[in-house]
Amino acid sequence: MTELYEKILSEKKIAYAVFSSQYFVEEHSRYFVKLMERPVTRGVTVLWDLFPELVGSEDQVEGVLQGKQRRFTLEKISKFTEQVKLRYYNLILLPFKKAGVNQILCIMNDTTFETSLEQRIQQQQHEIKLLESTLTSAIPPLSSGLVGDSPKIEIVRKFITKIADIKSTMILLEGETGTGKNLVARMIHNQSALAKSPFIEVNCASIPATLIESEIFGYERGAFTNATSSKHGLLEEADGGTFFLDEISELPVALQSKFLSFLENKTFRRLGSTLERTVSVRIIAATNHNLLQAVERGEFRQDLFFRLNVVSLRLPSLRELGTDIISIADHFIHIYAFDFKKKTLRLSEAAQQKLLSYHWPGNVRELRNVIERAVIFADGEEIEPDHIVLVEEPKIEALSPERPLLPDAATSLYEMEKEIIQRALKQAKGNQTRAARALGLTLDTLRYRIKKYRIHL
Amino acid sequence: MLGSFGVGKSSLVRRFVYDLFDERYLTTIGVQISHRSLLKRMSASSRNPVNLKLILWDLAHIDTMNDVIKTYFRGSHGAVVVYDITRPESFDRTAEFLLPFREINPSSPVIFAVNKCDLLSPNHANYGLFLEKTKLFNGGSCLFTSARTGERVEEAFHQLATLILEADGR
Repeated sequence: MTELYEKILSEKKIAYAVFSSQYFVEEHSRYFVKLMERPVTRGVTVLWDLFPELVGSEDQVEGVLQGKQRRFTLEKISKFTEQVKLRYYNLILLPFKKAGVNQILCIMNDTTFETSLEQRIQQQQHEIKLLESTLTSAIPPLSSGLVGDSPKIEIVRKFITKIADIKSTMILLEGETGTGKNLVARMIHNQSALAKSPFIEVNCASIPATLIESEIFGYERGAFTNATSSKHGLLEEADGGTFFLDEISELPVALQSKFLSFLENKTFRRLGSTLERTVSVRIIAATNHNLLQAVERGEFRQDLFFRLNVVSLRLPSLRELGTDIISIADHFIHIYAFDFKKKTLRLSEAAQQKLLSYHWPGNVRELRNVIERAVIFADGEEIEPDHIVLVEEPKIEALSPERPLLPDAATSLYEMEKEIIQRALKQAKGNQTRAARALGLTLDTLRYRIKKYRIHL
Repeated sequence: MLGSFGVGKSSLVRRFVYDLFDERYLTTIGVQISHRSLLKRMSASSRNPVNLKLILWDLAHIDTMNDVIKTYFRGSHGAVVVYDITRPESFDRTAEFLLPFREINPSSPVIFAVNKCDLLSPNHANYGLFLEKTKLFNGGSCLFTSARTGERVEEAFHQLATLILEADGR
C-alpha cells in the first residue's frame, strides 16, 4: 500500500518525511531523497541540516511538534540543484502522532514548473518597469525638455505653454534642421489636454510621393493594385490627438489641395472611397524651409500656407543660444554618461570654448552626436577638446549664379535637379550628409531623391 | 534582504557569498537562501572571535504584505534594506515592508544599502536624497554600495553582523 501511495505522491511531485521529537528523520519517501539531493539517514539526519531555512523559526517548529500550531508553511523556496538549476518547492510542516508520540510530518511539494512560469512573467513585468524607470530618470520629463535659460528659449517655453490648450489652432514650426521642431511639437501635445491621445507623426520627405496620400488618408480595398484590404490612414490613427506633419514643404503639390480641403472641412475620403470621414485632430506642421519663398516659387500652395500659418514659431538655431550650448551639452553628457555607465563626466574649460566657438550647422542634433562620441571616448572625469570631433562645414562652393546651373543644352527640370544633386555629391566626395546640408535638404530627402533619380554613388 | 524589485538584493548576496556579479537581471520568486560564515568578535573587548553563520534570506519584491511574507520575517536577526540609487522611487514603499518587519522583530537591527552607486557620480543629488530619506526610519548606517564593483558590500554585511551581535549581547 505504501508503495502505491509513494508512487502517486511522487507522480504529483510531493515528497514526505517524518521527524521525531528530537528532530531526527524517522521515515521518508524515496522522492524526498531525490529532492534533497543528499543522503538522508534515519535517526541521524536532523531537520535543521536539511532545511537551514527553518533556522530562526524554531519556536514555530516546536509549536507544530507540540500540536499547538496547526501548520507551518514556507512557500516558493528556491535552491540550486546539483546541475546548478533553480528548483522551487513549498515546505509544509504538520503535527503528527505515532503511538502517542508527537512527531512532525514534513511535506515538500516541487513547484519548479509552475513557479518558473510565474518567474518568467514577473521577470518581464519587472524589466518593463525598470526600463520605464530608467528612461524617466535618465531623461528629464518632456515638460522640461527644453534646456537653457536664454531669452530665445524662454520665448519658446512661453509659446508652448500658451498654445498647448488651444486645440483648434493650427501651428507652424519653422527652423533649421536639428533645432528641435519635433520635440516642441511633442511638448505642445504632452502639455495639452490631448496628452493621453495619439501623437502621430509623418515626415513628408521620407515617404515617396506615390505613397503619401494613401499613408495619410488611407485606402479602400481595390483602390489600387495590391490594395487587397482596406487600411486606416495616419489621420484616422491620430483621431482625438495630434497630427504632426514634419517637412510639410515636401508635401506633393497635388496632395496639398486635398490636405487643404481637409483642414477647411475636417472631412476627407480614403482612396477609392466615396464615404466622407471626419476626424478631430490638432495639426502641427514643421518645415526647415522658408515656406513663403516656396509659395513665391510656386512649390507650395499659398492658400495652404495661410491656412497653416495661423500661429507660427521660428525655433532658434543653436548658435543663437550663446552659453545655453553648454547647458544643452551638459544635459546630453548626463544622458550618455548614464547610458554608457560612466560615473563622473564634465566639460573642461577648453572643451567648453571649443563648443562655443563652433557654428553648429546641424544644430542640437549635431551637438548630441558630438557629445555622444565624446562621452564614449573620454577616459577621465573631464571631456577635453580632443574628444570633441566637429564636422567642418562642407567646403562645397555655393551653387551661386556665377556658377551656371543650366546645362548647355536645353534639358528638363528632372535632369537639372539630378545634375545638381550629382554635383553636390561629387563636391562632398560622396558624403551624403554634407551634400544634403549644402543643398538645404534633409538627409532623408536627399536619399529619396538619389533613389528617385537612380544616382549611382 | 528587503527592497523593491530590481534594486540588486540578489546581486548583493551573490557578491557577498560567492564574490560574483552577473549583469543579467533575474527576478527572484519567493525566497532564496544562502549562507556565509564570518569571524566576528562578540564585543570590542572580547579576545577570541566567534564563527557567525549568516543565513541570508533573499526575499522577492513584496507587492502586498501577506502572512506568507510575515512567515519569512519571523526569526530574523537583522535586515538589509536595499535601494537603487538611480531610482528614487525604490524608496517609496519602504514603510510597507519595514514596519511589519519591525513589528515582528523589534530588536533586530536594520541597515540601508543604496546600491548601484557605480552608475552615478558622487556629487549626484540622489546621494543626499537617500541619506535624508533613510533617516526617517531610524535604522543603522546608510551605505552606498555597488554589487557590480563590490564597493562597500563586505562592509554592509559586516556592519549588520556587528549590530546583530551587539543586539544579541543586550
